[in-house]
Amino acid sequence: MLIAVAEIPSPGYSVLAALLIFIAASVWLGAMAQKAMEKQDFMQGFFLGNRGLGAWTLALTATVQSGGTFMGFPSLVYSFGWIVAVWIGSYMVVPLTGFAIVGKRLAQLSRQTNAVTVPDLLRERFGDSRVGLLASLMIMFFLSFTMFAQFKAGATIMKHAWPGSGIMALSEDYDAAPARDGVTKTEGAAKSFLKTWFPLDPKYYMGLAIFSITVVGYTLIGGFMASVWTDLFQSVMMVIGVMLLVCLAVPMAGGLEQASKAAITATSTDIAFGPGYSTSGREFLTPGLALSMFFVWVFAGFASPASMVRVMAAQNTEVMRKSIVLLSCYNCLIYIPLIMTCIAARSLLEPLGKQSDEVIPRMALLVTKDFPLQTGPFVSGLIMAAPFGAIMASVSCFVLVIASGMVEDIYAKFINRNATEAQLRRATTISMIAVGTIGVLANLNPPEYLQALVVLSGSAGAATFIAPVMMACYWRRATATGALAGMLGGFLVYFGIYSCGWAQNWATANSSLDLAKQILAILGPDPKIGPSGLFRPYYILGVDPIIWGLLASIVGGIGVSLISRPPSPELVKRFFEIRTSPISIKNDEPSH
Amino acid sequence: MSGSNELPLLKSARREAVGALLIWLLVTIYSVGYCCAYGYNRDPKTLTFILGFPDWIFWGIVVPWGGSTIISAVFAFCLMKDDDLDS
Repeated sequence: MLIAVAEIPSPGYSVLAALLIFIAASVWLGAMAQKAMEKQDFMQGFFLGNRGLGAWTLALTATVQSGGTFMGFPSLVYSFGWIVAVWIGSYMVVPLTGFAIVGKRLAQLSRQTNAVTVPDLLRERFGDSRVGLLASLMIMFFLSFTMFAQFKAGATIMKHAWPGSGIMALSEDYDAAPARDGVTKTEGAAKSFLKTWFPLDPKYYMGLAIFSITVVGYTLIGGFMASVWTDLFQSVMMVIGVMLLVCLAVPMAGGLEQASKAAITATSTDIAFGPGYSTSGREFLTPGLALSMFFVWVFAGFASPASMVRVMAAQNTEVMRKSIVLLSCYNCLIYIPLIMTCIAARSLLEPLGKQSDEVIPRMALLVTKDFPLQTGPFVSGLIMAAPFGAIMASVSCFVLVIASGMVEDIYAKFINRNATEAQLRRATTISMIAVGTIGVLANLNPPEYLQALVVLSGSAGAATFIAPVMMACYWRRATATGALAGMLGGFLVYFGIYSCGWAQNWATANSSLDLAKQILAILGPDPKIGPSGLFRPYYILGVDPIIWGLLASIVGGIGVSLISRPPSPELVKRFFEIRTSPISIKNDEPSH
Repeated sequence: MSGSNELPLLKSARREAVGALLIWLLVTIYSVGYCCAYGYNRDPKTLTFILGFPDWIFWGIVVPWGGSTIISAVFAFCLMKDDDLDS
């Protein structure tokens, strides 16, 4: 029998208490991190943790985990069923590919060049400041989208944590919908101004303020290590929460097989098969898109600027080997158990409709409701606080990477080449506060579809950087012009295909207009595959644009390198060959 | 090309990168191939469950996931080489 929403206990003050504990723990970790990095070189210490990451910190923080792991992903499982196991399936090799493809070499190059950021590394490796500048601008562009979305998610969670505000969710329908039509002619100018510029629930703005001040604050205090330690803390909380949920939810549903059968009865047999259950007729994961996802997660994983920076900070190669094993085990404990929990939810909860990203918070409240000594609400609060911690850790990392780009790649390279440590510290503080302020301003009236933009910027980052980074690591003949062509080729093809998708979606929605008819005549009708929403890409041959972007980047990078002037022998020797320094043999020294 | 003068880390890193890419390729071909063959356009009446998972998810995702975890551990502990990052 399905349990109605009304029968699930209210979170009360438990979620708010858990969030405050997370915030306090993060500030404490920031202070500890500051102590740890004292007496070190400022830039190396603040932005790279003095290259001292151990196996646990590297394994559990260098991957693509954010609030989406605990909310967006479960929402997909709840909505489309077992096929989402195929959608996320490539995570089985992400730990291996994440560290074994470029990890060691990237860490070596960053030491050879003394680089603090990825653009820094590429600039030195190719001996051309244009490569560094372009990489820096692109990283700032991609990460800004992702960071803005995480600011919104953090503020939304804070808003829902207040007692009486409903369950926590990241759904964009939640706060955007009721707000924008609120201004009427009868309202005063001041009220109209507030409604125009601050159209959402005041609790959202309070959440945004608390979230932003906390994250920027502790990152400012502790730098890279604060970001890493918070990330580690939330990763541990997340795995504890998932284990607790799966161990309680599946037996409650009568076992996994029973849960699947109940889910089929509640929906249709489509929930147990590909391309996935859908009420709109859209095919969620066609075979072409299933293949694409095995490219998306793997390549977006190791080519994401945030991940590359963490790899550059690894202590040694032994740490990387251990991280592969740790992360492989961690992924086993996260993804398949989350799928099992959400399938169980289909057989336990009444349909959630558009609020499918409430599935984990609701399950947390449900499975802990009979805990003794009234501990259930607090335990469920801690489970629900895990995604908040993940979002804080992600934002902290993005603020740091963007600020490091502004200070190291722009200020220190172009504005003040002889900056003192005090000037660099001041520039860092100003940059981080500026990034945080922009994040807040962008979210005063947040645009919709930010979640779609997160996926877009992650995949676009992979299409842009994989070929240049691989070339930098392994190809002697790679040239600066080739690296620029690889970056621009991947970026332009990826965004070109996405733009066609937006045009097609717009034309489909406005099919009576002449222009729309012309667009549809060229691009064809909506193929009804992939996720719903305006920001669907155009699917050439039914696969995700990342595949075409990668192809363009590889062809552009290799082709242009081959036709451009070879790099200087000194440059190649510096990064590819053993340094042979003249050895002076003193005859009077005893031989051993 | 001067193979004999090449940095030792570069040689081992290149070999490991090729190994990791091959494992990714095999896993992709197997998992996507198996799931597409047995999870799409299938008569729902033929569905069976193994340890509670639909049979095609069990053989197409759960088993290779476990296998990949073991292979990754073997790769990391037995095949990857430790090198000096400051070389």
